[in-house]
Amino acid sequence: MGRPILELHNISKRFGALTALRDLSFHIGEGEVIGLLGDNGAGKSTAINLISGIHRPSAGHLSVDGHETLFTCRNDSAEAGIETIYQNTALVDSLSITRNIFMGRERCSAGGMLKLAQMREIAMEVLKSAVHISGIDSPDMLVGDLSGGQKQAVAIARAVYFKRRILLLDEPTSALSVRETEAFLNQVLKLKSENVSSVLVTHNLYHAYQVCDRFVIMSHGTKVFDVPKAQTSIGQLTEYVVMT
Amino acid sequence: MSTVSPSLPAATPPPRLHRRSALMRLISAPAGAILVAFLLLQLACITYALIAPDDFRYLSARNLTILMKAIPVLGCLALGVGILMIAGEFDLSVGSIYTLTAVVMAVQVAGGLNPFLAAGLAILIGVAIGILHGWITLRAGLPSFIVTLGGLLFWRGAVLLYNGAVQVRFDPGPVFSDLFGGTFLGVNAAFWWFLALSVAFFFLLHRHRFGNHVFATGGNRSAATAIGIDVGKVKIAAFAIAGGMAAFAGILATVRVGSVQPGQGTGLELQAIAACVIGGLSLTGGRGSVLGIFLGAMLIHTITNVLLLLRAPGFYLDMFIAVLIVGAAAFNSLIERKGRG
Ligand SMILES: Nc1ncnc2c1ncn2[C@@H]1O[C@H](COP(=O)(O)OP(=O)(O)O)[C@@H](O)[C@H]1O
Ligand SMILES: [Mg+2]
Repeated sequence: MGRPILELHNISKRFGALTALRDLSFHIGEGEVIGLLGDNGAGKSTAINLISGIHRPSAGHLSVDGHETLFTCRNDSAEAGIETIYQNTALVDSLSITRNIFMGRERCSAGGMLKLAQMREIAMEVLKSAVHISGIDSPDMLVGDLSGGQKQAVAIARAVYFKRRILLLDEPTSALSVRETEAFLNQVLKLKSENVSSVLVTHNLYHAYQVCDRFVIMSHGTKVFDVPKAQTSIGQLTEYVVMT
Repeated sequence: MSTVSPSLPAATPPPRLHRRSALMRLISAPAGAILVAFLLLQLACITYALIAPDDFRYLSARNLTILMKAIPVLGCLALGVGILMIAGEFDLSVGSIYTLTAVVMAVQVAGGLNPFLAAGLAILIGVAIGILHGWITLRAGLPSFIVTLGGLLFWRGAVLLYNGAVQVRFDPGPVFSDLFGGTFLGVNAAFWWFLALSVAFFFLLHRHRFGNHVFATGGNRSAATAIGIDVGKVKIAAFAIAGGMAAFAGILATVRVGSVQPGQGTGLELQAIAACVIGGLSLTGGRGSVLGIFLGAMLIHTITNVLLLLRAPGFYLDMFIAVLIVGAAAFNSLIERKGRG
């Protein structure tokens, strides 16, 4: 795999008395797909949120392209080329699909007036190409009127549209059907061929094994196993996830 | 752990049926219900006024003038409070800001300051107070309800501290008076201002990037943050707008009456929130429309006016508005729950 583009160095994250991440280190290579695995509460989402700039580390630091950096807000990580599908989808129920996809990154004229027609067209396009999901017939539908899977599809469409270098995918398929999940995993592979790296958090080891080049297994806030696909099997991964 | 076997495919959700009737769609659209209610009320009033023009002088020129003079003050307050409510915060202090800034303006004009400068100063003070409330709310992590309740009392006290419990005459000269209180094309200038501001707020809230951020901030604060919106900045801007609009309402009211009473404006903040709720704004933020706010303010004053014309005792008015508020809030939450589907 390519050189590391993002590295975590001895990251710890405490929420009051609770230590969610403990001395966590791993790296993401260029064009690499990493499976971030572990039991519920292992700290996967905390790691994803931290890389997205939502949380600041209590100790340790990140490097981007070998340069030490601190993400103080989401915009810092976006600048580094990171795009995230959050576990809770981070959508606003009372806004339309189009407005959710472009939330915070609206297409505007010089005065800040929204280019609604243009955004609507793009939304329709990405919804069709990024995820093949049934039941969304208009990008003007309110997100609050969508099912869980459809919401996930909107979150996926948003991330795919704005992706640049690294995609963080926190349980992106938990509400998708088999067919939709397949389409999504293929999308990850297609992006990999365009040299986009991904970190895929999932409880489904078969899905992970299908698309990932390397596996990082977490337990109780720290890394317990880091192995390339060629040197492991589903059986061994299962063992590590279950036993640690 | 459920990772050993391939997890069961989540069933594809059945496509939701969208064959609701046209009326249902209209009513659950933002401001749809209030639009229907408003039109029905107008229809009833106009019909009755045509049948019995001597008993019910709704359409008389004099009554329409009174109505148009009364609406803009509440309307401007409601526009400001409404944008803040959509951003997920409350402002209970706008009635006090309205009085304080009006007193400052009137006292300054009496002391020789140019009325336009004094009006600018009033708006600046309103904006500054709004920013202060927003800053305290965010910094201390308090509910804005409490912070602006403090503001309500504090700035009302500040009025007395600044100028005592005396009425101040306001005589800004003809240009200023005409601009904010005159008549243009047969319609009161204050009402023109309210119309123009409503249109401006429509574009700001529904067609501008800022409005999108306001809805996102109030609708799902953590999602807005996660996507890179500075929710603190958005909220403070909304507080500033609420304060500025309160001061502007004060200018309109002061021009109309020609003086400021230190005790005026009590209860206006609740009426403004009432107008917003009746207009379909969610109490938890993220939902609402400028059309709803506009119609909410119109509806409150239309009902007030009708009850006055029918010579109903004043307490009927309060009771009627009360029923309307609770009914509207219940209706809104019903629609919202359906929306969460
Ligand atoms: N914002 C937060 N505040 C306090 N505790 C948190 C927060 N986010 C996560 N945690 C805690 O951190 C631990 C790890 O959670 P999480 O990262 O969500 O695990 P995973 O995604 O692997 O299931 C859990 O004990 C969780 O309760
Ligand atoms: Mg998680």
